[in-house]
Amino acid sequence: MRVEYINPFVEAAFNVLREVLQSDVRRGELYLKSTSMPVMGVAAIVGLAGDVEGRVLFDMDKPTALKIASSMNGEELSVMDDLVKATITELANMITAQAVTKLHDLGFRFDLTPPAIFTGENMEVSDADVEALIVPMETVQGKIEINVAIRERA
Amino acid sequence: MAALTSEQKTEAAEVKKERVDKVDFKMVTFSLAGKEYGIDIMSVKEIAKAGRFTYVPNAAPFVRGVYNLRGEIISVIDLRTFFHLPAERKDDEALESLLILRVGDHVFGVIVDLIDKVVGISSAAIQPPHPIFGDINVKYIKGIVENGGKLYIILDVERIFAPEREEERAAEEAAPADMAAPRAPVAAPASSSLATAEAASGGAIDVAADFIRETLGALRGFHVTGLNEEWFRARYEVWKGERKGGDVQLRELADAEAFLEGFLSPCSGRLWDEDYADAFIAALPEITTKNINVWNPGCGKGYESWSLACALKRRYADARVKVWANDSDLLAISMAPNMIFPENGVPAWMEGFMTKGRNGLSFSQVIRDSVFFEFHDVLNSSPLPPLDVVVARDLLSFLAPTDQVRLLGDFAEKLKPAGILVLGANERPGKGWSAVSSGAVTAYRKE
Repeated sequence: MRVEYINPFVEAAFNVLREVLQSDVRRGELYLKSTSMPVMGVAAIVGLAGDVEGRVLFDMDKPTALKIASSMNGEELSVMDDLVKATITELANMITAQAVTKLHDLGFRFDLTPPAIFTGENMEVSDADVEALIVPMETVQGKIEINVAIRERA
Repeated sequence: MAALTSEQKTEAAEVKKERVDKVDFKMVTFSLAGKEYGIDIMSVKEIAKAGRFTYVPNAAPFVRGVYNLRGEIISVIDLRTFFHLPAERKDDEALESLLILRVGDHVFGVIVDLIDKVVGISSAAIQPPHPIFGDINVKYIKGIVENGGKLYIILDVERIFAPEREEERAAEEAAPADMAAPRAPVAAPASSSLATAEAASGGAIDVAADFIRETLGALRGFHVTGLNEEWFRARYEVWKGERKGGDVQLRELADAEAFLEGFLSPCSGRLWDEDYADAFIAALPEITTKNINVWNPGCGKGYESWSLACALKRRYADARVKVWANDSDLLAISMAPNMIFPENGVPAWMEGFMTKGRNGLSFSQVIRDSVFFEFHDVLNSSPLPPLDVVVARDLLSFLAPTDQVRLLGDFAEKLKPAGILVLGANERPGKGWSAVSSGAVTAYRKE
């Protein structure tokens, strides 16, 4: 993944999370991963197209998703209902959109697809041979892993 | 450990002749009470001469004491006493031959009579132990192998020293044989020219050199294989001279760095000077296509990639050059796209490719547009178009032997038939590649 793409995603994730959660956010060490990976329980995905092709996956466990949705909505949510799903989807959309805006300012043209959300137990994502950048984010509500896989269109 | 005796040399020659099978198992050989034994080299951390062990009261009779190995306290076991073999009791000041073994997380020393050498064999040649082996309990024997006219008994150190309790061991013994504790990993199968070259050197070079190979891997991630064997041997001779009378082994990172000094190619970690750029340009082939695709894995801080882009632009002025520069070190590569140099801080031949900005010199838009810096691990799949040039200087040597082979295969697959590969000044790609240029920079083409 091009070096220029990394910072916009990290910054966007950091800014958006801090703003919507109104609390401290810590970024973990970035790393690369190419194997299939387990999904913690709730995964929102946004596709990217344009100069590049790829996708961004936001992965967290169910309690974290509930706490984040509660915090964003300002009310206590305890079941994985439509509101929670819509809230997490919106969070994924906000972060990706902000990153794409930053990238646009740097001269890279990206488009996004509407986000989709997956929930369930024991899920695994395997996109063969795609190397992904993992951006771990520690929030008060729990850990969110942002998994970015982008490659240049040949 | 000094020069090999002539007897050992002829023996080594014989060993080589006999070795028609692939060599995939290396062992350190030693003697106990006049008999020859071997231990898998993967379990041996180093060898040493030591004495004056600190006695531990009330320990088992085969425990000679504890020893301070560079700050790490290890227990020392007398293998002869352990196996009820006659042991010559030296006086307290005398030095004993010590094999430092690593089993799991435990490091400890074992005393043997004499450490001989490293022998490479084919694991297929190992015969199972026969129940009538007398001196040593059969359960501690992995097998027996014949090499150079001698029979070696291969000890299973994991079974001897695994930190488990006797009851567990007994229970395990009751289980079927193939369920028993995992055996020490055998060296990777010699499926390629590189690995074979590495293994074939087994018996011929002395044991200290083999330990340097191991420690270079452990301390610096540098792996000696067919790729850099030539350099290693030459360097080892010089190193022995430098350390005259002293300790040739590498104790710490600084030693490994000192040993590797001189390995890196010219102009590493800085912009290429004119001489090197000219030598590189001289090695480039005639390319007539409009687009030139170049891969520069392991670009580090990016000096190499920028120099490469300028050199290619100089050679192929009309073509559209694209350089994919990869590194898995995020900190190093993240500064690469926006490099700024002080005026007069770049080699003169590059000034034409620079533009002057407010803070100093930076690369011109044409050069900028030709280099893509990517945070990427080359061991993951690299989606790239067919390539004209691959420049991977001093990258492969710092990968594990199997990864070296894999990446060389990846280069061969991605290069166009006329494409060239440039490795580090002290690296040779081995079988399947032929040199196509002579000069300070050697380019290779796949055969």
